[in-house]
Amino acid sequence: MTPYQQIWTIARLELGRVFFSKRSFWVYILAIFPSIIFLGHALEANLKKRNWGGDRVTAAELLDKVQSGMTDEQVLALAGKPVSDTTRKRRVRRNDEDPEAEKQPEVRRYVMYFDGKRRVDLRFEDGKLVSRNARELMNFEDDRRVYATMFQFFYLRLGIFFGCLGIFINLFRGEMLDRSLHFWFLAPVKREVLLLGKYLAGLIAAAFIFGTGALLSFLSMVLPHDPNEVATYWQTIGPEHAFWYVAAAALGCVGYGSVFLAAGLLLRNPILPAIVMLIWESINGFLPDVMQKLSVLHYLQSLCPVPVPLPNDMPAVLKMLLAPAAPSSVPVAVLGLLAVTALVLFAAMQSVKRLEINYGTE
Amino acid sequence: MAVYRRGYQRYDGALTSHFARLMVMPRFSWERILSQRFVVILLVVSLFWPLLCAGFIYLSNHSELWQGFGGGIKKFLAINGNFFSIFMNVQSTFALILASVAGPGLVAPDLANNALPLYFSRPLTRWDYILSRMIVLLGILSLVTIVPGLLLFGMQASIAGGDWFANNWFLGTGIFIGFTLYIAMVSLVAMASSAYVKWRVVAGALVLAFFFLLAGAAEMVNSIFRVDWASALNPTYAINAVWKGLLDVEIPEDKPGAWECATVILGLSGGLLALLARKLRAVEVVK
Amino acid sequence: MSAPEIVFDNVSKFYGEVLGVNRVDLHIPPGITSLVGPNGSGKTTLMNLMTGLIHPNSGVIQVRGLSPYAPEKLMRILGYATQYDAGPRGATGFEFVHTGLVLFGFPKAECERRAWQAIERLGLTAAAKRKVAGYSKGMRQRIRLAQAIAHDPEVLILDEPLNGLDPLVRAETIALFRDYGANGRHVILSSHVLQEVDVFSDQVILISNGMIVAEGQIKSVREEIHEHPSQFLLHCRDASRVASLLFAEPHISEIKLAPEGAGLLVLTRNREAFAAALERIALSGIDIDGVIPTDENVDALYEYLIGGGK
Repeated sequence: MTPYQQIWTIARLELGRVFFSKRSFWVYILAIFPSIIFLGHALEANLKKRNWGGDRVTAAELLDKVQSGMTDEQVLALAGKPVSDTTRKRRVRRNDEDPEAEKQPEVRRYVMYFDGKRRVDLRFEDGKLVSRNARELMNFEDDRRVYATMFQFFYLRLGIFFGCLGIFINLFRGEMLDRSLHFWFLAPVKREVLLLGKYLAGLIAAAFIFGTGALLSFLSMVLPHDPNEVATYWQTIGPEHAFWYVAAAALGCVGYGSVFLAAGLLLRNPILPAIVMLIWESINGFLPDVMQKLSVLHYLQSLCPVPVPLPNDMPAVLKMLLAPAAPSSVPVAVLGLLAVTALVLFAAMQSVKRLEINYGTE
Repeated sequence: MAVYRRGYQRYDGALTSHFARLMVMPRFSWERILSQRFVVILLVVSLFWPLLCAGFIYLSNHSELWQGFGGGIKKFLAINGNFFSIFMNVQSTFALILASVAGPGLVAPDLANNALPLYFSRPLTRWDYILSRMIVLLGILSLVTIVPGLLLFGMQASIAGGDWFANNWFLGTGIFIGFTLYIAMVSLVAMASSAYVKWRVVAGALVLAFFFLLAGAAEMVNSIFRVDWASALNPTYAINAVWKGLLDVEIPEDKPGAWECATVILGLSGGLLALLARKLRAVEVVK
Repeated sequence: MSAPEIVFDNVSKFYGEVLGVNRVDLHIPPGITSLVGPNGSGKTTLMNLMTGLIHPNSGVIQVRGLSPYAPEKLMRILGYATQYDAGPRGATGFEFVHTGLVLFGFPKAECERRAWQAIERLGLTAAAKRKVAGYSKGMRQRIRLAQAIAHDPEVLILDEPLNGLDPLVRAETIALFRDYGANGRHVILSSHVLQEVDVFSDQVILISNGMIVAEGQIKSVREEIHEHPSQFLLHCRDASRVASLLFAEPHISEIKLAPEGAGLLVLTRNREAFAAALERIALSGIDIDGVIPTDENVDALYEYLIGGGK
């Protein structure tokens, strides 16, 4: 059996355990959760459209005439019966008699109209309109931006990070705890080959789970929208976006997987470097260019097709977190990530050759 | 066949009380946890904020020290629900870190080393075991939460006088109940993590990940659905809302209120308790 | 062709400040070799060193000419049944044995044939499809043995293989060891059941506090222990007459009447002189029905060399 055949054999043997382990079901939840949320959003929007439609729809031109400062009677006279109308009286508080306590309105009234596409939320305090908020139930461009934010902030930074932590740490350190690692060491396999085989198993599982999760969530976000919009999107940049989201998820597994596999080998307590890495990834934007290249997230963010929108009022710290200071080009990002991974795996291979079975100290 | 004289006589003297037996495990656990240097350092560091707050209370009650600063300073230095809410927020962070350090070592080693049969072959039920482990965390975490909180309340009440106490007694009960609820929730998270993964190190990370991931998930739901109700699923927000309710601090109307958040926390705690009860068995049957 | 011996050349292993083994020099020939020593003496350490599960701090180890640092070669000829009770999570007995074989590169059918053969040899056919985690202690011991022999190794290393086995299985397992040992293979095992070690071992290695106290065939080791007089049980009718004749010999240190009229228990400092004396007594017409050495066994060696000796 050649080493390559052995790598594949080990990966095959481990795949079942990695994919179907009871302990790993939370990894599936992490991967699928965004899809469920986007699907839920689409279902909710469609349900609302159906419930608020028909004779409950108010013409958009009428709603555009509603201005701040108008009284509730004026608005009702102009726009007619709303979809929902809730009044809340102010709760009696203990500091009511305190002359210096901030004065709160006695009555708040929440009124919602629907013009067939948009919902318009109006808030009245003591009869006067103080807030007007109009937004579409389903806005494709809005949802693509929300998806980009979700992908970078939740999926890459938290979902894939913790998912890979759970999968790859178990490959060696978990087996040490289960007292079953020695069975692998007693097989006629070089230690480096064993490491690569296990890494491959973890990578196939993680990339499949999170790549599929990214694709599913992307489709859950895209498909419920207007068919014409969706068709135009698919004929232009849609497939490219889908590809790069899936690629970023898969490459995230490549990078994080190698780091956590190495951490599990080199250190008895691999959670500490995981926490350090989490902090490192968060402050990456502050670091000099050269040091930024030593971050998995830096390359992944460079691969994301849609930049995360940054509201003007967003604090500077958050802006730093959500956008790479000096994004790398796609080839550099991919090659850089693979280079970081190769370096880490090489260090792991040197470490596994020296690894000793000493379960009593775990 | 020989017949042996049955000379064995069972002990029929006095036994210690059930509670005394229950407290055997916490006693040893406290000793072990408090011997860890990192825990002691954390306990010391966590007392800086209460000390600062004590200074704040002193300043607030001695107006002669800030007479020339203008009207706004009085509002800033007011000792009210808001003040204690901020205090509880900060101390809860230390409590969470302590729980992630001390909590996983309570159950995971027993499961990993198959010690549960040893416990359950004694007159100790699963609920006794869970209660005794929670008492360990209650003891440790109350040192950074309930104790300094009530001391600060007592300090304010003694300096400000009986009138202040009569109008603000609910702050004391709010601190006690709020922190007790928080400790119970965090303890259950720590123990459930510890029981679920059996690996102390990963259980500690899971405690932290639980709060971070749920917060992230709640924000994701909020942003995708364009709503605010999902904040109730964020344990940090939820417990804060409960505290604000107990301390009579205003919660924005469009955010989940104290009652909704309390329901979510109780539901979460129930789920964690059910997970613990399922995992803690004397014998694991493998088919 | 690989060299036939297992060689330890000045091997030391420390676990931090705790001594595992210290300056071990061994040449282990083929056959059944028993490692004997108290708990914590270094038996498992030696086995783990041989198999590469741990690495020595100093010294060199060769197993039939192969280094433990080359598991891809060594594990083809070596099988190790460890003391660790845990099995791979969720694996059935068959999967446990079969998985190990897959990595040898055997075709699928051959893997299955060997796995079933090993399982049948250890009497676990009925339980093969059940999870190892649900096995009794003895069954787990047997499945580990099955996994160690499935690829027909030249070197079989067994850490306390008879633990938890019932008498019938014990006897069958010992027969298995004899089978292996008789074919020029190495069987290295550790055991606390000294009477059994006595029966099937070709040579013994006594280890105490990480150091080799003695190695070789039981009889040869005994002959080299001069501090303790050799013990013999003499079956004879006229015990008092034989005793009085033996007392005249200068090398006799003690004579006791064996209990229940079994004969005489004689302690002598010189076995050759004792043999000559017995010959003279027998030639003088006194019947001596039998001469049995009572301390040419591992129990006695253990007692003399490790136990503080009486």
